[in-house]
Amino acid sequence: MADKKNRAVIVDGIRTPFVKAFAQYMKMDTIALGNVAVKALIARTELAKKDIDGIVWGGVILPSAAPNVAREIALDLRLGAHVQGFTVTRACASGLQAVTSAVSAIERGEADVMIAGGSDSTSSAEIKLPQKVVHALAPLAFGKATPKDMLGVLSQLMPITEILPKMPKIAERTTGEVMGESAERMAERNEVSREAQDEFAARSHHRAAAGIRNGVIREELAPVQTPDGKTVTTDTLVRGDTSVEKLAKLRPVFSKRGTLTAGNSSPLTDGASAVLVMREDKARALGYTPKAAFRSWSYVGVDPADQLLMGPALAMPQALDRAGMTLGDAGIVDMHEAFAAQVLSVLRMLSSDAFCKTRLGKDKAVGDVDPERLNLYGGSVALGHPFGATGARIVTTVANELVRGDKETGLIGICAAGGLGAGAVLERV
Amino acid sequence: MSDFLLELGKNPTARKMIKNLGLPVPVPQSLKRPRGPRSARPLHDQAVAFGSFGSSTLTKALAGILPRAGADIAVVGDVEPFVAPGEAYGRPPLALDLDDLPERYRAHGLVFDASACRTPEDLRAVYDFFHPLMRRIAPCGRAIVVGTDPSSLCDPEAASTQTALEGFTRSLAKELGKRGSTAQLLYAGPDAADRLEGPLRFFLSYRSAFVSGQPVWVSELVKDGAPDPGEGPLDGKVALVTGAARGIGEATAEILANEGAKVVCLDRPQDDALCSQVARRIGGSVLLADVSNPEAPEKIAAALADEHGGVDIVVHNAGITRDKTLAKMKPELWDLALNINLGAIQRITRKLIDDDVLHDEGRLVLLSSVAGIAGNLGQTNYAASKSGVVGYVRALAPTLAERGITVNAIAPGFIETRLTAAIPVMIREGGRRLSNLGQGGQPSDVGEAIAFLSLPGAVGITGGVLRVCGGALIGA
Repeated sequence: MADKKNRAVIVDGIRTPFVKAFAQYMKMDTIALGNVAVKALIARTELAKKDIDGIVWGGVILPSAAPNVAREIALDLRLGAHVQGFTVTRACASGLQAVTSAVSAIERGEADVMIAGGSDSTSSAEIKLPQKVVHALAPLAFGKATPKDMLGVLSQLMPITEILPKMPKIAERTTGEVMGESAERMAERNEVSREAQDEFAARSHHRAAAGIRNGVIREELAPVQTPDGKTVTTDTLVRGDTSVEKLAKLRPVFSKRGTLTAGNSSPLTDGASAVLVMREDKARALGYTPKAAFRSWSYVGVDPADQLLMGPALAMPQALDRAGMTLGDAGIVDMHEAFAAQVLSVLRMLSSDAFCKTRLGKDKAVGDVDPERLNLYGGSVALGHPFGATGARIVTTVANELVRGDKETGLIGICAAGGLGAGAVLERV
Repeated sequence: MSDFLLELGKNPTARKMIKNLGLPVPVPQSLKRPRGPRSARPLHDQAVAFGSFGSSTLTKALAGILPRAGADIAVVGDVEPFVAPGEAYGRPPLALDLDDLPERYRAHGLVFDASACRTPEDLRAVYDFFHPLMRRIAPCGRAIVVGTDPSSLCDPEAASTQTALEGFTRSLAKELGKRGSTAQLLYAGPDAADRLEGPLRFFLSYRSAFVSGQPVWVSELVKDGAPDPGEGPLDGKVALVTGAARGIGEATAEILANEGAKVVCLDRPQDDALCSQVARRIGGSVLLADVSNPEAPEKIAAALADEHGGVDIVVHNAGITRDKTLAKMKPELWDLALNINLGAIQRITRKLIDDDVLHDEGRLVLLSSVAGIAGNLGQTNYAASKSGVVGYVRALAPTLAERGITVNAIAPGFIETRLTAAIPVMIREGGRRLSNLGQGGQPSDVGEAIAFLSLPGAVGITGGVLRVCGGALIGA
């Protein structure tokens, strides 16, 4: 960790309201959403364009024509040609990766002021032509095609089923398993019941609704003007009126006799979030009051064929160890809720002596996470999960809560596709 | 070499037709074989039913081994030892009631810990476990009986009871063979519980496809070395495979290379082209030498020491047959078979040990044959050399145990190679069908068994013979 003067600090964070895919933001792509978040962050912090050194952006569904979203945002917002940018992708941990990359860059002395964040528009997922069609059409695209060539192409395109575009889905490339199926197996393996999942999901919604009501969440939001002329000012997925009874009525979606439903899984979402990261002395010189700094972080990988989303159970203890603290020291814990079953499975692993002894080499369990400290203002199940935006959303929420609740440290845990996991410890500045 | 009945059996319509017509054609089950190198969880999501008798000292180790290998465990009786390891690996054990089995329950593997059986009455537990589950084993399933090494028991009654498991397992293998399933017996010596991990992973997986009805002794004899990492177990090891140009040698070289070993492919100078092809494909190197040549040991030892800094795994696979009845056999044929199949092995092995080219924690795997165990008409010379190998392994093993080196023999049965394709058709069919699995094995089946004995995890097995014969009737 860098010394106090040179460490990077989180000055502020902001995000767009999160809305369901194919709804209000349907006509906005990931770059447009990123523009809104970054513009709002600059406006709120009254940051001078000339002070910005660069942008780091996280995203999962990157536009294939312009995959370096970070630079596109800088150009769109006319921040000045000097604002360089790069884009990172680490599945659902992309947002956190963007923030930690910015922190690394600052602490390495590469930059003083960085904007880090992420966005994703699941509405803008591109439907690809199968590679077979691309290869078959190549002779027509290059040079003049004779009728014989045309026939040749046609013969290559049979049978028709092989050339139809495939519906995009969140499936593991290596195992072919859809993420919900993996989470379903985790629920079974860790004996997480449907009731427990529904209860967790209901709590997530209730807490998010309370957060919206008492203004805590509004503080993090920037309103969005859609191309249709509408304005979105609040998260649209939160259902404050839901209950365990209502959730219990939903049908399982990934397996007939399964326990995962639309209600206890995170939905496909559009949105963006961004945080302002600066070197501490620079922030003070510019007159900012920094909120938080990273004490440690950790990224891990597990076998995707095993328990795909167990990564945080390994990464969070590692981050705690690196920060030189225990689970009990963390004033708040914020975990990304890909599925209620996934969070509950990870919590079970952390509180299991057997797991922690065998898999983490510890003497005893890492400990129980107090529900009163976990995801105080809901999580991805209620708010939604625009893949790349979740990391900066969590960093913002934790940083704000450290200040608001006068707490020392906060622990973050994020699971990601490919068997990845991330953990981080934020401390109050 | 294609096997007509096996091909026919793969066609579901033909299989059904033969069954419905009541034809007496035994269509063998096509065997499931492993794909790719070893993984951390070879039994990933496979259902394994576990039972035990009395208070066994092995159960605790087994309770760790099975979930670690990725198995979904159903326990008959006391679930307790499996709960904590199950939690650690996200594989909670299920309690199984044999009187009331879930309707759809199918097990890939059955594991019974009979190591605490001491009287013939105790053996009833073996019946009680297997009997209700016999019809619940998936095709190409695995049954494993774990016992106590009878020679470690002072009490004759107890030793006899444990030996009874051998007859049981061999017969069980015959009953299961029709559906491609196998049964083996693992005899654990005192304090060898943890060493059961490597053998269990092999015998419960599809890697042991053509090993059937075998007793295997697992002991504390050999000094323990580095633990088996599961994935890439042979990373950084150097392996010498003789006769690597084709057949079993080629398959073995390929499998060892896939597990991470740097393989030195040895064959005769006249097989240069074939041997080089194999070496290039697997990223190994070529060593051309005629093993029967008196200078060969010197040359091989020098090449291994200079170019690879020694050797960890030696597979003596090169061998020949020169079949004639003893009455008609010329003395040259006798000499040739014994020189190549036994003399060369002894000379090369001795040289590698004496010159310190063989590293500590090394593995020696020698090719014997079921003919060497049972004898075969017209193979007096060949069988003599091959049973000589068995004796060599047995005698050499204790002398190398202190250095962590294991020495074992592999005895292939009917394997579909150039050698067996040349056998007259009627005799060939007999050789193929007269086994538990009703078919011949593939060279890769032998290669998998050799690779298993080359692993760090096979440290418990030394001085023994592992038959890869599909439970052949001849040589039993």
